[in-house]
Amino acid sequence: MKHEIICAGIGGRGVLLASTILIEAAITSGLKAVASDEYGMSQRGGSVVSLVKVGDFASPFIGRENGDILLAFEESEFYRTLFFLKKGGLALINTRAKGLPSSVDALLKKRGIVCRLVDADGIARDEGMFQSANMALLGSFASFGIAPFTREVLENTIRSRVPEKFLAKNLAVFAKGFEAAGGQGAVKIPQQGV
Amino acid sequence: MQSREEVVIGNQAIARGLVEAGLEIAAAYPGTPSSEILPGVVYFKKMEDVKIHTEWSTNELCAFEVAFGAAAYSGARAACFMKQVGLNVAFPALLRSREKTIEGGLVIVSCDDPGPQSSQTEQDTRLIATLFGIPVFDPASPTEAADVAYYALNWSFENKVPVIIRSTHRVSHARESISLYSPGARKVSLQEGHLAGTGGKLGIVASGMSYSLVYDVIEELGAADVVSIYKVLKVYPSSEALSDFVRSMERVLVVEETDQVIEALIGDHKKVMGRSDGTVPSSGEITYDIVRDMLSGVLGRLGLGRKDLFAPDGTIEEALSDVAVIPRPPKLCPGCPHRASFFAMQYLWPDAIYPGDIGCYTLGISQGAVDTCLDMGAGVTMAEGFYDAFNQDGKLVPILASVGDSTFLHACLAPLYDAVKNRKRFILVLMDNSTTAMTGMQPTPQTGVTVDGVKTRSVAIEDIVTGLGVKYLKIVDPYDVPLMIGTIREAFDYLKGDEMLPAVIIARRQCLLLTKGAVKEAAYPVDIESDCVGCKSCLATFDCPAMSFDEDAKKIRIDDSICTNCGICYYACPVQVKGKALRKLKGAVKQGAK
Repeated sequence: MKHEIICAGIGGRGVLLASTILIEAAITSGLKAVASDEYGMSQRGGSVVSLVKVGDFASPFIGRENGDILLAFEESEFYRTLFFLKKGGLALINTRAKGLPSSVDALLKKRGIVCRLVDADGIARDEGMFQSANMALLGSFASFGIAPFTREVLENTIRSRVPEKFLAKNLAVFAKGFEAAGGQGAVKIPQQGV
Repeated sequence: MQSREEVVIGNQAIARGLVEAGLEIAAAYPGTPSSEILPGVVYFKKMEDVKIHTEWSTNELCAFEVAFGAAAYSGARAACFMKQVGLNVAFPALLRSREKTIEGGLVIVSCDDPGPQSSQTEQDTRLIATLFGIPVFDPASPTEAADVAYYALNWSFENKVPVIIRSTHRVSHARESISLYSPGARKVSLQEGHLAGTGGKLGIVASGMSYSLVYDVIEELGAADVVSIYKVLKVYPSSEALSDFVRSMERVLVVEETDQVIEALIGDHKKVMGRSDGTVPSSGEITYDIVRDMLSGVLGRLGLGRKDLFAPDGTIEEALSDVAVIPRPPKLCPGCPHRASFFAMQYLWPDAIYPGDIGCYTLGISQGAVDTCLDMGAGVTMAEGFYDAFNQDGKLVPILASVGDSTFLHACLAPLYDAVKNRKRFILVLMDNSTTAMTGMQPTPQTGVTVDGVKTRSVAIEDIVTGLGVKYLKIVDPYDVPLMIGTIREAFDYLKGDEMLPAVIIARRQCLLLTKGAVKEAAYPVDIESDCVGCKSCLATFDCPAMSFDEDAKKIRIDDSICTNCGICYYACPVQVKGKALRKLKGAVKQGAK
């Protein structure tokens, strides 16, 4: 099993926590994984990209058009990192928008990319946890059930990573994110070749 | 005897290897990408309940000399950690230490920053080590970094020679699962040599993260059966086996970051491709795409290409060409107190001379309040040089130098004393945020807390400044923008007087990352929606990441998700409908207009 995952967002909004949860979920599932915390000049509000590779890889780098999954925690960061995504990849975008620009829509269709728009900020805000949009997007990702990133595995990893006093709320946001993507009709993603 | 696994970043892996090897003394000065090593040592020493002295030193030379002192005559196992430009600060002691002068063991970890991403220059620690004959290792992953750290400290102890571990930010900040062993129990076999691929037409020699990248790209290109890959771990002294490998290949490609070191050690320009013949780009980080393009080209030229070469799908960029993507250049955080300091500095004299320094405050460049960035401490000394140059011609111009508190303590004491002694007249704005923010909130000597979290004696910057002989010293809260501007004006009046000394203003307010979040005492609520006239001048003079221009509404838009409600941008508004404080921004509107 091999996955190349791009987590893109802006500093101070939990992108690194999300990628750490992904790599730990893979490792606790017995898989080899490596991640890159790409935070050179990290500051609040700056672009942050974190890469996670599951499977037999030596480096944490992802090449252009090689990525399987793009989790965009902010819409503009989706556009900035879209070149990573391969044909037939999966993209989840945290945005309030109901649709993407028509040129992008056409591109995604042409490249066979499955794309879900999730109002992760809105979900987190409704739960009173504005900083937990990352959990909502992870929840939506879990609804695709791409092994090893099932709901159960991700929830367990969140339990081990998030401090006790924020845990219940974070899991609630995660669950709402799960339902939100399911509600839009999650599609089965073919499993990657071994 | 393996105890368990833990997911760590490369810097923590280095810390783990050293702790397992019996480390006793560790000293460091923070600098990206090295900053997490010392906290890693603290974490693991607590986990293993072993006694290790750990300290943040005031600069890299101090860190090096503490470690060297402990290793040299008292026989301790010691280590020091720094970034690549920090090694320059420790250089005098490094060169002397390479002679066989230690009784214990000494490991120097120097983390390079190919790119550079957060440094003023690229620099290859391996080149310095090789030039001066110091053994140097270049690990390719966190797992290997832990092994090398363990091996290097033991090797140094046994051979009485200091050893350098060179990491790069991609190794230091890569995250993977490593095995934790009980102290003294790690079994290390260093992985070096012809480890992957076959064939004698093309041999690739690579070290560090470049090796890991080459390995992945060769897999993707399906070329492992026509290319031999040789991994170098100990760059200097290089091994006989490397010479044999090179001899056995028709052509050799060397991939390494960031200078030509292995390539120079091999020599043989007829056989070897790399940086010297332009096959590898001469500077900048080596990325996946660069390696893929490079290898595709080389394989094609040598008739070894199998798969269809990768061709990028240009329609991605075409489809995105009309999509407005918010640019996110590096900026001070929303609510940063020293955005206000820079605003005040450039308000009075937009054309003043602004010598800057290293750290967060280099970012003042985007507000027009930083002109130079040379090295740590140069903010003060270059101000002196500028003063002298104008003073020769009998001119006194406004020179506003800026430096952060950690940098001041690291490198500015001697420069400021020089300025007093030699009667230089400039204004130094000392931006005190009570931490070392850019590298991850390490405490400074002023904080009075050690890396272990233990309270210690704190050193007040103002005492140092007056102790160095400065007579004009004011401490101002930078959020009080009118007072800050008034003080800068007053300081310049002071410079015109008889005392002939530099003026120092300490702009003191804690880093927002330290105070965690929103500013409660926001001075004025910002009512952009109704008041903004769309002149954009605040974007030029204030440059806050929470502010952007809404092209539809023709007004500034505030991103509530990152705005800290500090309200300071109000001062940057030249119309200020509510009519408080400042109105006239000299030159700013002109800069801001497109």
